[in-house]
Amino acid sequence: MDITNLPIRKINTLFSKKELKPSELYSQIFDNAANSEASLHAHLTLFEDENIKKAKESDSRFDSGTAESLLDGIPIAIKDNINIKGYKTTCSSKMLSNYTSPYDATVIKKLKESQTLFTGKTNLDEFAMGSSTENSAFGLTRNPWNTDFVPGGSSGGSAASVGARSSIAALGSDTGGSIRQPASFCGLVGFKPTYGTVSRYGLIAFASSLDQIGPITKTVDDSRIIFSAISGDDPRDATSIVNNQVDIPSGKSAKIGVIKELMEDGISDEAKNEVNKVTEILKSNGYEVKEISIPIIELAISIYYLIAPAECSANLARFDGVRYGLRVDGNTSYEMMENTRAEGFGKEVKRRILLGTYALSAGYYDEYYGKALQARKEMIDEFTKAFDEVDYLISPTTPTQAFKAGEKTSNPLEMYMSDLCTIPANLAGLPAISIPTGITNENLPLGVQVMSRALSDHSLLNFSEIIEKEIQFNQQPKGWV
Amino acid sequence: MSLQPTIGIETHIELNTNTKMFCRCGVVDTEDPNVSLCPTCLGLPGALPVPNKKAIESITLLALSTGCEITRKGMFHRKNYFYPDLPKNYQISQFDLPVGLNGELEIVIEESTDNIQIERVHMEEDTGKSTHSGSGRIESATSTALDFNRSGVPLVEIVTKPVITSSKQAVAYIEELRQLAIDLNISEGRLEKGNLRFDANISVAPEGSSELGTKVEIKNMNSLRSLERAIDYEIERQTKAVEDGVEIIQETRHWDENKELTSTMRSKEGSADYRYFSDPDLPNMYLSEDFINQVKSTMPQLPKKQREELVDTGLSLKQANILSKSDVWIKSLYFKVHKQTKDSEASFNWITGELQGQMRKSNIEKLPDWFSYEYLSEIIELIKNSKISFTSAKVILSELLNTDSTPNEVAEQKNLFQENDTDKISEMIVQILEENQDVVERIKTGEDKLVGFLVGLVMKQSNGSVNPGMAKELLLKKIED
Amino acid sequence: MSKDFDIKNIAKLASINLSEDEQKELDNDLSIILEHVKALSDLKLDTEQKEIFIHPLEKELELQEDKLVESLTHEEALSNAPKSKDGKFVVPPSME
Repeated sequence: MDITNLPIRKINTLFSKKELKPSELYSQIFDNAANSEASLHAHLTLFEDENIKKAKESDSRFDSGTAESLLDGIPIAIKDNINIKGYKTTCSSKMLSNYTSPYDATVIKKLKESQTLFTGKTNLDEFAMGSSTENSAFGLTRNPWNTDFVPGGSSGGSAASVGARSSIAALGSDTGGSIRQPASFCGLVGFKPTYGTVSRYGLIAFASSLDQIGPITKTVDDSRIIFSAISGDDPRDATSIVNNQVDIPSGKSAKIGVIKELMEDGISDEAKNEVNKVTEILKSNGYEVKEISIPIIELAISIYYLIAPAECSANLARFDGVRYGLRVDGNTSYEMMENTRAEGFGKEVKRRILLGTYALSAGYYDEYYGKALQARKEMIDEFTKAFDEVDYLISPTTPTQAFKAGEKTSNPLEMYMSDLCTIPANLAGLPAISIPTGITNENLPLGVQVMSRALSDHSLLNFSEIIEKEIQFNQQPKGWV
Repeated sequence: MSLQPTIGIETHIELNTNTKMFCRCGVVDTEDPNVSLCPTCLGLPGALPVPNKKAIESITLLALSTGCEITRKGMFHRKNYFYPDLPKNYQISQFDLPVGLNGELEIVIEESTDNIQIERVHMEEDTGKSTHSGSGRIESATSTALDFNRSGVPLVEIVTKPVITSSKQAVAYIEELRQLAIDLNISEGRLEKGNLRFDANISVAPEGSSELGTKVEIKNMNSLRSLERAIDYEIERQTKAVEDGVEIIQETRHWDENKELTSTMRSKEGSADYRYFSDPDLPNMYLSEDFINQVKSTMPQLPKKQREELVDTGLSLKQANILSKSDVWIKSLYFKVHKQTKDSEASFNWITGELQGQMRKSNIEKLPDWFSYEYLSEIIELIKNSKISFTSAKVILSELLNTDSTPNEVAEQKNLFQENDTDKISEMIVQILEENQDVVERIKTGEDKLVGFLVGLVMKQSNGSVNPGMAKELLLKKIED
Repeated sequence: MSKDFDIKNIAKLASINLSEDEQKELDNDLSIILEHVKALSDLKLDTEQKEIFIHPLEKELELQEDKLVESLTHEEALSNAPKSKDGKFVVPPSME
């Protein structure tokens, strides 16, 4: 039995029964990382030394029966755009290659209280901008199923880490699909909670109204455990909300909608097939499944690529070489800032900053950003209407399986299109999950996405677990071996 | 062609909260740099803003006190510009939905009042402080040092409509606004500490013209004196330019305190386009009826109302205005003394003249505990009843500021009661006349001025206890005899 | 869409010193993206931009009590400074 394949609840039981020690698990996890890192490059940093010590402390808590948390001694990888005090937080950017955070993100504080181990910091597209983890200043990450392919992004390092069993689970962040898309590409569960249920304090912002931290795990239950540990209203985040969950049915009385606009042109047959496979199973189990139209989804990419860059153009203004990070000198402060930002940011980041700057600039605001805000509101309204009719919305997570490294780097728009199915949940603030459901002809995994109304995260997880059980996706990658 | 100046003033008032606008770091008054900072006010990656309730209450109070309409659904905007002392390179401010709109403030110049129309009252956060080093002149600085203690300190900005027509009005407006902020207890209101900072927009246009001239913004006026001079200078400069047919350029000019002139400021790079957009870190702010009522309930008596009450006691508007801009204890002292003496003139003069004068001279900041307002009433009564001379009254007051005693006791001890007994005084006068026969002769031949000399001798001999008026009267009578 | 943006000006606003090559490349990228998002401008919607909540779940802002919370030490605040002196961050002159 490979212990690194086990779900968290099972591991915790073994810890409690003293059949397994956290230090033994950690040692296995670290070996996996040591074996896969050279081919995958999932991590930017691994925290081996301090973890050996922490795993031992966890051992003694289980020895003495004082371990209280399900996550005690569970090795979790953290996307490198989440601050851990005393460690580098680089966002995979040259801008922050030497930046050591003096504070903990709220999610880190919560996980520390749960006594988790942080295996290390995972690679990402620079400042979480990208869909392939190729936009990293420190080298790309590869897909654990096949290293010719990308792991998806921007949380590609987190997905590759869990895929390679270099961690039991990982935290990612999702602005337009950055948790769900890599989870789908790597055969994992990726969960983006309702906007506001998990504090963003300490997550380095890409687009504040869209960003949300969430787990990438092997099972739905693992996602549930981590979500429970990291969610909650945070006085340090004005956008965070009290996690007052609404209960919607997950059993047979639940009504299922398939989003029409995400089953049309631009979606591969393979991706459609996965959705059809799931809906057939649900139907055969007595669920009512119907097609639901959300017309504004056709404009999702346009709305997203105005709102996200606009917010990022201001969010990333603070990287100027004055107080931290890279500095490239100049004769004046202004020259210094311009030189620093020219040198510190990669191409995709510059592209989005400039796009956002333009969208907000005098004379264009109404035409671009203002219009996008209106359309976003329209999207929220259309989703509300859809949820009057059904409880869950199903779609592909990604239009295609994972693509090859280098395949889409030359055309930004083509890369943006790979976020088509995931973006709407961010724009509407809804919970959304990707569940692995199948393997393509090229032996790459594919997932299906399920969305539900705001604050029904737990119901969504319950429902997803039903699909998970029916599908029995029990495969694991061996691409790097 | 006669030209009419039009001035609008933007004032920033630093609020007296314990903590900053968007984080709970202390607002500190220290020379030690960078000692009151957190990830938020230092603009560290991942930090988020959380608004200060007290600051919003203070701003609402100011808006209510100037009769503004309160924006019930408010919003915070990001104002984007790059400047090294602005940590996020955007300032959180308010744009089209400020806390207050369309108010007015009554100002007093000499014996008349004017209403200054206020366009808006809104929230802002302060920047850090830059110190330019080098040869000591800004133009040749070799580096800039930054202290961020002030970063994020809450400010309220008050913008007038372009309705001010002279430097006198401008000064009266700032004085009034400062007093209002102090009376509302929302700011220390100390100009020398930069608690109040103001910029003026000035233009000139032909009298009666419905259109305003090209406006020029004047910055760096850090006292009322420089405000007055800068405005006068700028009006003169623009008037001359128009008369000479020189075009006035819309620009920002810098008031040079030493040279006493305004000069073109090099504009901040890229400052022309602030790309305002609503801050996605801060949800919309709703000011409820309850909130507004609760703020209203804390409103003290406003300066305008105070002046009305003071005028009702018999003071002129100018006197009332002086008192309304004095410390609270002075105002209340006036009311108490006036209530006892019913003499507004004497009460006003003794308090604002002699008492404050002596305190200033002796560096006494507050009245000693033993000093009762009744002493002032007593002194005023003693003078009125010719019991003591004005000179003696000053001596008594000075003594009361240093020793725990009463006016009557001091007069007694120092033998300052005036001799009103005609017989005793006559006796003394007869003797003096005998000793100064020559002077008497000269007076008789027309040298009237020498009467004063004789009065002086009487005063000297009586240790000042004789009523000088009475002495003179008696002297003249005896000489004539 | 007519090309109505000046990449140099946008880069200036964004404080990024772009090389000639980068300007050309980004100018082209932006044109492509803007052409794509143009679909939005034809959309007719009645919601007033001003009326739109910034929070997707329409959360209202909560205000926090004015109570001090200790945070970074002076040393922590300066720990990542590229250049500092006498407890202050130092940058090239900010007034030319």
